[in-house]
Amino acid sequence: MAKQPKSTMSRALVRRETISGYLFLLPILIFFVGFVIIPMVICIVNSLTDANMNTQGLGNFVGLTNFIDLWKDKTFREALWNTFVIVIVSVPAVCAFSLWVSSAIYKLNGKLLSAFRCIFYLPVVTGSVAVTVVWKWMYDNYTGVFNYVLKSAGLIEKNINWLGDPKYALGCIILILFTTSVGQPIVLYVSALGNVDQSLVEAAQVDGATNFQVFWKIKWPQMMPTTLYILVITTINSFQCFALIQLLTQGGSGTNTVMYYIYYTAFKLTEKAGHFGYANAMGVILAIFIGLLSALQFKLAKEK
Amino acid sequence: MNLTSNRSRAYKVLSMIILFVLAFLFLFPLYWIVTGAFKTSQDIYSTTPVFWPSQWTMANFAKLFDRRSAPLFQLGALVGPTVPGAIRWLVNTVFMAVAAMVLTCLTASMAGYALAKKRFVGRTLLFSLIVCAMALPKQVILIPLLKEMSALHLYDTLWAVIFPTVGWPFGVFLMKQFSEGIPGEILEAARVDGASEARTFFSIVLPMVKPGVGALAIFTFINSWNDYFMQLVMLASSSNYTISLGIATMQAETSIDMGLLMAGAALAAIPIILVFLVFQKYFTQGITMGAVKG
Amino acid sequence: MKRILALALAAVMTLGLTACGGGSKPASSAGNSGSSAAASTSQPAASGDATEISLWTYPIGGWGDEKQVNELTAAFQAATGIKVNVEYLAYADGDDKVNSAITAGKAPDLVMEGPERLVANWGAKGYMVDLSDMLDATDKQEIQESVLNACTNAEGAVYEYPLVMTAHCMAINLNAFKEAGADQYLDLENHTWTTENFIKAVEALYAKYGDTVAAVYCAGQGGDQGTRALINNMYGGTFTTADHTAYTWDDAANIKALEQLKGMDGIAFDASLAGGDEIAKFYQGILKMGFCWNIAQQLNPNAADTGAGKTISGDDIVFMSFPSETGESKLCGGIWGFGIFDNGDSAKIDAAKQFIKYMCDSANTADAVKTANYFAVRDTAEGADLTGIWADNEIMAEYTKLMPYLGDYYQVTSGWAQARTSWWNMLQDIGEGADVTETVTTFMNEANAAAAG
Repeated sequence: MAKQPKSTMSRALVRRETISGYLFLLPILIFFVGFVIIPMVICIVNSLTDANMNTQGLGNFVGLTNFIDLWKDKTFREALWNTFVIVIVSVPAVCAFSLWVSSAIYKLNGKLLSAFRCIFYLPVVTGSVAVTVVWKWMYDNYTGVFNYVLKSAGLIEKNINWLGDPKYALGCIILILFTTSVGQPIVLYVSALGNVDQSLVEAAQVDGATNFQVFWKIKWPQMMPTTLYILVITTINSFQCFALIQLLTQGGSGTNTVMYYIYYTAFKLTEKAGHFGYANAMGVILAIFIGLLSALQFKLAKEK
Repeated sequence: MNLTSNRSRAYKVLSMIILFVLAFLFLFPLYWIVTGAFKTSQDIYSTTPVFWPSQWTMANFAKLFDRRSAPLFQLGALVGPTVPGAIRWLVNTVFMAVAAMVLTCLTASMAGYALAKKRFVGRTLLFSLIVCAMALPKQVILIPLLKEMSALHLYDTLWAVIFPTVGWPFGVFLMKQFSEGIPGEILEAARVDGASEARTFFSIVLPMVKPGVGALAIFTFINSWNDYFMQLVMLASSSNYTISLGIATMQAETSIDMGLLMAGAALAAIPIILVFLVFQKYFTQGITMGAVKG
Repeated sequence: MKRILALALAAVMTLGLTACGGGSKPASSAGNSGSSAAASTSQPAASGDATEISLWTYPIGGWGDEKQVNELTAAFQAATGIKVNVEYLAYADGDDKVNSAITAGKAPDLVMEGPERLVANWGAKGYMVDLSDMLDATDKQEIQESVLNACTNAEGAVYEYPLVMTAHCMAINLNAFKEAGADQYLDLENHTWTTENFIKAVEALYAKYGDTVAAVYCAGQGGDQGTRALINNMYGGTFTTADHTAYTWDDAANIKALEQLKGMDGIAFDASLAGGDEIAKFYQGILKMGFCWNIAQQLNPNAADTGAGKTISGDDIVFMSFPSETGESKLCGGIWGFGIFDNGDSAKIDAAKQFIKYMCDSANTADAVKTANYFAVRDTAEGADLTGIWADNEIMAEYTKLMPYLGDYYQVTSGWAQARTSWWNMLQDIGEGADVTETVTTFMNEANAAAAG
C-alpha cells in the first residue's frame, strides 16, 4: 500500500483522522472486542486456572498445570496430530486440484465455464449439515453407495467400514472437507488465469517455450497473490470441520481434532466434562498453532 | 509439431472427460439428497442403493412437518399460529442470516474504509489483530463466549449466534482490501468541499466499494445459513433452532430414517442453492475482486 | 425470477424480524432461572407460584414423541395451571445440550432420564434437588427397593423420582434364523438360550448369509447396555464389584467372551455404529440380531411402518435374553424418572415437584407409564393399582417372563461417565485387533481411576 507522506498532514488533521477513524471503527470494535477479543482474553486467563462447570468467576490459579496435563494426554496429542494432518493434507490438495480444474476450464465458452464453476461451488452452498448427513449415508458400512459401487465394480471384496475404521475415517472426513473447499479457489483461479498478461505468454510462445514452461515461468508468478489468498482461506476452512466430526464419528475412529476435543471436554458427559480450564488451555494451544500458521503465510505474502 | 498438437488434443479430450466425471461426483451428494427426500421407505431401506426412486412420495416431508411444532413467530406476547417446527426453523434461519449479513456489511465496510484510508494511532496493531483472529476457529473461545452470552441474557436467542458472526473479522479484512482502491484525491476533494465524514462515506466510499459489499453480503449470508457449531452451543429451545441445527438434532434422534433426514437436508439446502444460482454472477464477481484486491 | 425471489426474500425477512422479537427475549424459552424468570413474559403469578416450567426429556418410549407428551402436559396444565415447555433430547447430543445449558446457568427445571445421569453425574456434581422429602413411608414401600436404591446416592439424597423400568434384552430376526436353521438353538417359550447355542446360531447364520450377522457396535453414543450385557453374560463375568466401587472388566470370564466374539465369523466390532444404528441395520434385515433392544422397541412400529415387532421387510422379531452358560442371564436394568435441576428458584422447584407427583404418584401415573412403554416401578400410586395396566397387552405380558432375570443396577458406580467412554474405546481397540487382555486392563484401569475420584 502507498504510504502517504506524513509531513503533509498537520497535527490537527492527524487528530481529526484519528477521531473519525475510530468512529468508523466503533461498530465493528463493539462486536470484535466484545465477542472475539474479550472471550479470547478470558480463555487465556482461564487456561491457567482449575475452573470447571461449577466455578463462579475465574477459579484458582494453577499455573501451567493444564498445559502440562495436556502434554501428557494421549488423546490431546492425537487430536493435535489429526488437526495438523487435516491442514497439511487438505490445503495443498485443494490448491492443486482447483488449479488443475481452473486451467482445464478457463478457456471454455461462457455457459460451460459457469456451469462447471457452479457445480464445484455447490457443495459449499449446500451447507455442512446437509452435506454431512448425506455423506454419512453414502459412507454407510452396510448399505452405502460407496461400498455398493466398489463391490459391483469388483474393486473390493468385503465392505469397507469407512467411518468405523481408523485407517479410513480421517481420510473420509478430509474428502468431505475437500469437496466443500474447492469451490472458491476454482472461481479465483479461473479469473486469475484469465487475467494473465497475454503479451508475455505470446512472447514466450514465439520464443518456443512449452506449455509447461509458459505456465511455470509466466502464469504461476502472476497468480502468486491469488495463490496466497487461497492458502489463507483454505487454511481457515480446514479448521471448520466441527460439524463433520460431531455428526459422523464424534471423535472416534481416530478422527478427533483439537476443535472437537475442546467441545468434548467442555460438554460431553465424561469424567473430564466441564473442566473448563483444561479445555481453554487447548484453545490457547490451538490459537498459537493457528497464529504461527497465519504468520508464516503472511510472511510468504510479504516476501513476494 | 504435429505430434505435440495431437498430444495436446488428446490431453484436452482426456481432461474434459475427467472434468465431467468430477462434475458428476460433485453433483452426486445433492442428487442423493433430492432423490432420497422423495423415496418411499421401501427404497430407502433397501439393502442395495436405489438410484432412481421407484415411486416419488411426499411422505418424508409429511413426516418432517408432523414431527415437531412451534409458533411461526413470537413477538413479546404476540404469538403466531402453530406451524411445523421445520418452518419455524427456516424463518429463524432467514432472520439470522439476514441480520448477520446486514450488520456485517455495515460494520465491515465502515471499518475497512477507516483502516485503508485513515491514518491514526493503533491502526497497524488493530489490523494485525484482525488478521490473526481471522483464522481462529470459534471452538477456541467457546466456553467464555457461552458464559458471556448467558450473562448478557442472550443465551438461547438468535443474537447469540449473530453477534459473534458479525465480530468475526474476515469482512473487515475483505473491505479493507476493497477500500484501498479508492483514490485519495477524491476523498481529499470531498474534504476540501467541506463534506462531512458521514457524507463522504455514504456518497463516495460506499458506491465505490459496492461490489465488495455485495460479495461480503452473499458470503456472510451463506456462511451463517450453513454454520452449525455456534447454533449447537447457543440455542437450546427447539423453537429457536435454525434449519441446520434442526436437521442435525433430527439426525441425532433418528440416524435410522434416512428419508426423513434427506427431506430435512433438502429443505435446508434448496433455498440457499436457489439464492446462490440467482445471484451467481455477482457472487463470482465479488469473490474474484476481493482476491484481486487482496 | 430475480425480482420474485427478492420479494419472497423480503417477505420471509419481515416474518423473520417478527420471529426474532420472540427470540430476543427469554419469553417462553426453556430454563429461565432466577432473575431471568422475572423478566420472562409469563404472567406474573399472584402468590409467587411458577406458572411455567421446562422439561427436557430423552427419548424414553413415547416420552420422545411430541404428540403423546403434549397430551400429558395438557392434562397436567388443566389440573394445576402450570404450563410445561418440553424439549426433546437425543442420546447423541443430549448430554452436551444439558451441560452447555448448565454452563450458561439455564438448565431446565425438569429432566427425564435414568440414575446413571441424574444420580451418578449431575446429582454427584451438585446440580440436582434432593427429592427425598417427596417420598413418604408409603411411597418407599410401593416403589421397588432396588429401583429406589439406584435413585438414591450414598448420602441418602434422592436425585431421581423413578417412573418406569425395564430389562434390556436382545432381539433376533426369526425368519432369518429359520432360514438358516438356527431357530433350533432358541428357547422361544422362555426367550432364553445358552452361550453354546448362541455360538452355533451365529455359525449357522454366517454359513447361510456369509456376512456380518451381528455387530458389537461401539461408536460411543449410548446403547452400551447391550454390549455390556452380552459380554458379561456369555461366561458369567461381572461389570463392577457388588458394592459398586470398582470396575471388574478384566474378569477372566469377560476376557474369554471378548476373545470368543472377536474370533467369530459373522460378528463384527463396528466403530461406525451406535446403538441406534445397530437397531436400524437390524430392522433393515442386514443384521440378524440386535443387542440394543428392549420392550419399547418391541412395541413401537418401525420407521417404515410395517408393524410392531416386524423388520422393514416384515420378518418377525423375537426378543431374547442374552445368552449365558446356563441360559439364566443377568439382564441390565433400565430405570427412568424425573430429576429437578436446582435453579435456585423455589417456586419453580415446587412446580416441578407438583409435576413429578402428578406423573409418578397419582391417578395419572398409569398414563405416564403407558406413554413410556415400560413397566411401572411401583404396584400402586396413591391407591391406584398399576399392576394391571398392561394386562390387555400380550407382548408386555410375554415380556414379563424376562423381568425375573433383572440383574444388579450397577450403572451408579462412580466414574460411570468415564467408564462408558473407556468401554467404547476398549471395544474399538479390540475390534482393530489389539490384544484383548492388555486392552481390557488398560481401559479398566482408566475407568477405575475415575471411580477412585
